[in-house]
Amino acid sequence: MSAGGAGGEAKGGFPPQTIMAIGAIGGLAGIYLGNFMPAQFSFFGGLGAICAMVWGADAVRRVASYGLGTGVPSIGMISLGMGIVAALFGLSVGGIAGPIVSFIAAAIIGAVIGVLANKVIGMGIPIMEQAMVEIAGAGTLVIIGLSVVIAGTFDYAEVVEYVVANGYIALIFIIGGMGILHPFNANLGPDEKQDRTLSVAVEKAAIALIITGFASSLHEGLMAAGLNIAVGVIIWAWAFMKYYGYVKRDSYAVVGTGLLPSAEELE
Amino acid sequence: MIDALMANILWLVFIIIGGVLISWSVHFVPVGGAPAAMAQATGIGTGTVQLAAGAGLTGLVSAGFMMNVTDNLPLILASGAVGAMIMISVTMIVGTWVYVYGVGCVPSSAKVKYDPITKYRQDLYVSQGTEGHGLPTVSFVSGVIGGLLGGIGGALVYYSLIEVGLTAGLSTGTSSGVTGHELVGIAAMFAIGIFFVNAVIPSYNIGGTIEGFHDPKWKKWPKAVISSFVATILCAIVAVIAISQLGGI
Repeated sequence: MSAGGAGGEAKGGFPPQTIMAIGAIGGLAGIYLGNFMPAQFSFFGGLGAICAMVWGADAVRRVASYGLGTGVPSIGMISLGMGIVAALFGLSVGGIAGPIVSFIAAAIIGAVIGVLANKVIGMGIPIMEQAMVEIAGAGTLVIIGLSVVIAGTFDYAEVVEYVVANGYIALIFIIGGMGILHPFNANLGPDEKQDRTLSVAVEKAAIALIITGFASSLHEGLMAAGLNIAVGVIIWAWAFMKYYGYVKRDSYAVVGTGLLPSAEELE
Repeated sequence: MIDALMANILWLVFIIIGGVLISWSVHFVPVGGAPAAMAQATGIGTGTVQLAAGAGLTGLVSAGFMMNVTDNLPLILASGAVGAMIMISVTMIVGTWVYVYGVGCVPSSAKVKYDPITKYRQDLYVSQGTEGHGLPTVSFVSGVIGGLLGGIGGALVYYSLIEVGLTAGLSTGTSSGVTGHELVGIAAMFAIGIFFVNAVIPSYNIGGTIEGFHDPKWKKWPKAVISSFVATILCAIVAVIAISQLGGI
């Protein structure tokens, strides 16, 4: 089974460094703004999660283009698996630096798993180590960002009480995973384009903000929840129209693949 | 931080053993992916991660249920194992019904000429252009063994994390509030996180499809187990520290 990707490097669009900067800096900035601003502004955590999801989806796009041999969703799941372990660890020991500690812990776990995947298992994907670091970091920021939307803060005790103990963390786990693994899974193929893939990431992240916005009504009240949902709906509508535009742009183009290779060319 | 790790060294070891068991269990589960969904390969028609996670999480739930009534470790592990085995067996038997009565194909393996368990001839029944289809007896038995190991692994991780919390002075006591079970919630989430990491690493080792313990790819399991061992050490250390911190709140 060769699910996922054309077997080569992903091409086109913004360079990885730009997306990385948007994801890491945007994600952390959103998380800290959501933490320090009054409860009504917890949607900033969601904006941070959107940046991180775009980053995660782009990293998945780059690594899965090589062909993982096991389908794209697995890498989204390991992203959130590493992310949840790192996020809760960082918040528990870091205090005010919690998200940064989480981020570093995720990078270490991701680097180790990336090295193991390439060196021990022998996947032979040149960017595996870097991509695993990025994917783990993005998964961590998504979980903390969406937790900030629900709890209004990333303080460990409050996150445990308002996000983990009542099970909302499972919801974050799945919708965060969807935002990271689904965009490339939905768009992969010979005419995959970065802007189209990432517009799905923004759209999925906006849905995550809407859903966590509903969940935030339990702790933060209806005003904050309404604001979270409204911001999410606006971003969703914008991203969906963008995606619709990209689909229309790409759908008519027929890419010539040439004639079938001859017997000599196949050898 | 170091004190917390030293105080929980036994549970740390148990978590790592659990992670390794999960990783090994994945190699037993017959996974066919998209080709199997079209009855063109042997196994269940979905990815390794989904199946391993399904079996492991069912094991976790049944282990958690057993913890309601006893704290006897062998009983909890047995409960987790049985839960995961039931889950994977039900998935496989219903899948077989679909393949046999819905698709209309004979469960047969293309990797071996004779089924190692029933000794039935296989190659005559493999449709042309496919790599076998359905779930022959050997794959079914292999999947049940995978459920057993995965369930024990998941239960061991969860039980150890709960014990870490109890060492840190938390309780698993019932509370009627919506926000009651800090320890149960956080231990379950860490168990799920460790489970997903250990379900994905072996799936990269297998690379898509595997029929069971008679598949040639099965011999690659030491690579995945070593990788999972290292990855679980990291995850276990951060999990134990994070749960111990809860005691201080």
